Amino acid sequence: MSSVLDKFKKYTKPGYYDKFDYHWTMTIDLDRCTGCEACVVACQAENNLPIVGEQQFAMRREMKWIRIERYWEGEYPNIKLQFIPMLCQHCDQAPCEIACPVFATYHNQDGLNTQVYNRCIGTRTCAVYCPYEVRYFNWFTYHWDEPLEQQLNPDVTVREKGVMEKCTFCIQRIRQAKDAAKDDGRRRVRDGEITPACVQSCPAEAMVFGDRNDPDSQVSKMARNSRGYHVLEELNTKPSIVYLKRVQPDG
Amino acid sequence: MSTNLMGIFQFEDEFISALRRLKESGFDGLTAMSPIPLHEADHILGFGKSPVRRFTLAGTLIGAASGFAMAVATAITFILPTSGRPIITIPPFLIISYEMTILFGVLFTLLGFHVVSGLPAWRDKIYHPASNVDRFTLVVECTDRENSKLAENIILESGAEEVSRVEGDR
Amino acid sequence: MADYIEPTYAEVNKDVLRSMMETGPKYWALLGTSISVAGICFFIPWFYQLEVGIGASGMNRSAVWGTYLSNFIFWIGLSHSGTLLSAVLHITNSSWRKAIYRSAEAMTLFSLVTAALFVMVHPGRVWFVHWTVPIPNQMDLWPNFRSPLMFDVMAITTYLTASSIFIYMGSVPDFAAVRDASTGLRRKLYTIFSFGWRGTAKEWHTLGWAYTFFAVLVIPLAVSVHSIVSWDFAMSLVPGLHHTVFAPYFVTGAIFSGTAGIVTVMFLLRKYMNFERYIREIHLVNLGKLLVLLSLIWTYINIMELFTTWFSGSSYELEALEWRLTGFYAPMYWEMILFCAVVPMLILFKKIRTSWKSMLIISILINIGMLSERFIIVATSQPRKFLPDAFGFYFPSIVEIAITIGSFAVFSTLFLIFVKWVPAVSLYEVKETLKPLLRTS
Repeated sequence: MSSVLDKFKKYTKPGYYDKFDYHWTMTIDLDRCTGCEACVVACQAENNLPIVGEQQFAMRREMKWIRIERYWEGEYPNIKLQFIPMLCQHCDQAPCEIACPVFATYHNQDGLNTQVYNRCIGTRTCAVYCPYEVRYFNWFTYHWDEPLEQQLNPDVTVREKGVMEKCTFCIQRIRQAKDAAKDDGRRRVRDGEITPACVQSCPAEAMVFGDRNDPDSQVSKMARNSRGYHVLEELNTKPSIVYLKRVQPDG
Repeated sequence: MSTNLMGIFQFEDEFISALRRLKESGFDGLTAMSPIPLHEADHILGFGKSPVRRFTLAGTLIGAASGFAMAVATAITFILPTSGRPIITIPPFLIISYEMTILFGVLFTLLGFHVVSGLPAWRDKIYHPASNVDRFTLVVECTDRENSKLAENIILESGAEEVSRVEGDR
Repeated sequence: MADYIEPTYAEVNKDVLRSMMETGPKYWALLGTSISVAGICFFIPWFYQLEVGIGASGMNRSAVWGTYLSNFIFWIGLSHSGTLLSAVLHITNSSWRKAIYRSAEAMTLFSLVTAALFVMVHPGRVWFVHWTVPIPNQMDLWPNFRSPLMFDVMAITTYLTASSIFIYMGSVPDFAAVRDASTGLRRKLYTIFSFGWRGTAKEWHTLGWAYTFFAVLVIPLAVSVHSIVSWDFAMSLVPGLHHTVFAPYFVTGAIFSGTAGIVTVMFLLRKYMNFERYIREIHLVNLGKLLVLLSLIWTYINIMELFTTWFSGSSYELEALEWRLTGFYAPMYWEMILFCAVVPMLILFKKIRTSWKSMLIISILINIGMLSERFIIVATSQPRKFLPDAFGFYFPSIVEIAITIGSFAVFSTLFLIFVKWVPAVSLYEVKETLKPLLRTS
């Protein structure tokens, strides 16, 4: 009886996974970001993102798991351009996760906010609940013209119409690295073994990816930087992406 | 051998008084049919609080418990944490419980209605079609000839339009 | 009402049953029209959308919810007054309810069915929609009971079940009356429908108790249903939706539009099915008073919504408010205020309150206003959330507009079928309101 009670107590405590096995985190140094959109292209190639065409793009139905948001500051002629790459923040308290009636999106033990395409019924509630608007819906079943279908990534599924999708932190690479570590008899993945496509392609090395649970990893060091902040922190979503503030010459 | 007498009335008050007098004279096998619910008939025939209420109560209790239990059980059979919420999240599960309370309450009340009223009963029973339009009909079970004479008198004295001997289930 | 002559019991039967049994060419024409409109405007576009994907609609990335959802709320709202009003008036023993409640409840049922259809139209993969139902399966995968959408699923199935049982049980004695008045196949069918009802004191007694319990259970249910629908929105973080006032706001709006819907349906029934003797001025006046009350509550909540938004001082909320009041959809917003807050005040004048035509117009205007209200809630909030770069815009596509129009045809088709199958005015409850048949009088 007491064990049942203990279990009940454990289950009624907020935050079931207190300590994740890994806590995948990314830091994005806005001081380094040039807005070149290499990450956008890399992501598109890695994750089999469809090209929706001009007309659909104009309807704002493009598929970009990572996008570069562009903001203009000030009035002409004293004008400044700011870039901020926006991708799924893998929030620890993700608003999208409670929205799904069928558990198509949930939190896994790596601290990732996962999307199960097979389970998705396409109510799109998660996209409404997401304050970062990084969830993308398959409005149609997209096709790749020959010979473009030859370059699809075999490690990633192609999604059909009516399914929500979003950045996975390249979960296929995480999976591969974990398997490789297991084959080598290591318990954990070493820092730097996993690089998502966007991180890999960033020419300015603005993005760093790694395990936040390891205090010595590069990403942990970067995240402790005093310039670090979360986007829309006041919403208390606890994002896993730390942005490093751009240092302005005029303060 | 028992026989059934059917009396048809045009007026509600006469019908009620016939019913009352029959009851007072010791006739227990009474069936009153009317186009509208008559509360006085309920009193005369001794229908107090209907047992339907027990069904409703049982249904709501079962519903409340099973709704909450369902939410808890399904949450812990396959643990999928979302949004940093607990696995057993009390406030949302109470909403599920609330809805199930009402669902089961309604379904059990329906069951109770069928059990208590004995419906559906599609086999032929004594019935007069006019009793669903504008006539009040009563059927009384008489055990012997004397009895039936008495009953017929009461019905006719009260002002029935017609009295007839009928066969069939009451 | 000097010229009003109370019908006799037999006349009640005759009038109501005649409306079911005698079918003129007008009825067939109307039914044919509404079936074809439903087919052309609702089902063909829907099948087209199923074939190509949700992209057939005008929804886009920042506006992933569109008219399907706003129509869903509208129809759920329209369903609110029937059963709720009927139940409340049953419990408070208001006898004026009795002539109108059957059609009001039918309205509930059929607008719920229409709303349920929108639940099917809305999701991307409707062929998997049964995953939201807790069915045991070999993967041990269950729905997420923490999700507001799951509350919705539970609430709507319960509501659909409860209101169909409510209307059915109330009709059982009337089915028996139809059975007695008909022959052949219809007689056989209604024998089954009526459970072999004879109208014995035992049956009446049990029905009365059961019916009261249904009414008692339905009232909290109806209130919870629209609160839960509002939580679909209010539990998100979206500025303009994340308000605690949403539950009462939606419930009031729902009863408001539903009551207006009853007035419209009453007018049509009275006019085209010759129920002048049953649906009378008292119903119109009482519903009119109710409309004024609901309009005032609705206006108050609307003002409070604006006030709390302004008072919060949150820049996101203020931005959303500004866009709603002055942006592209601002004319629609002010139209809604005009139709739902200003126009109903005309009912305060006795001349308008007692005129069927003016009440019909007001009731239709209120529902247009409520339809726009739901559209505004969906279309002006979630395209503009937090990040200005992701600000979008939503305008319904031709498919969505067609489906919206078609949904009205679906509703009217169901209603037209209903009036030929179920007595549209409750026989026995109307008889109860008449003078009792007493020798002494």
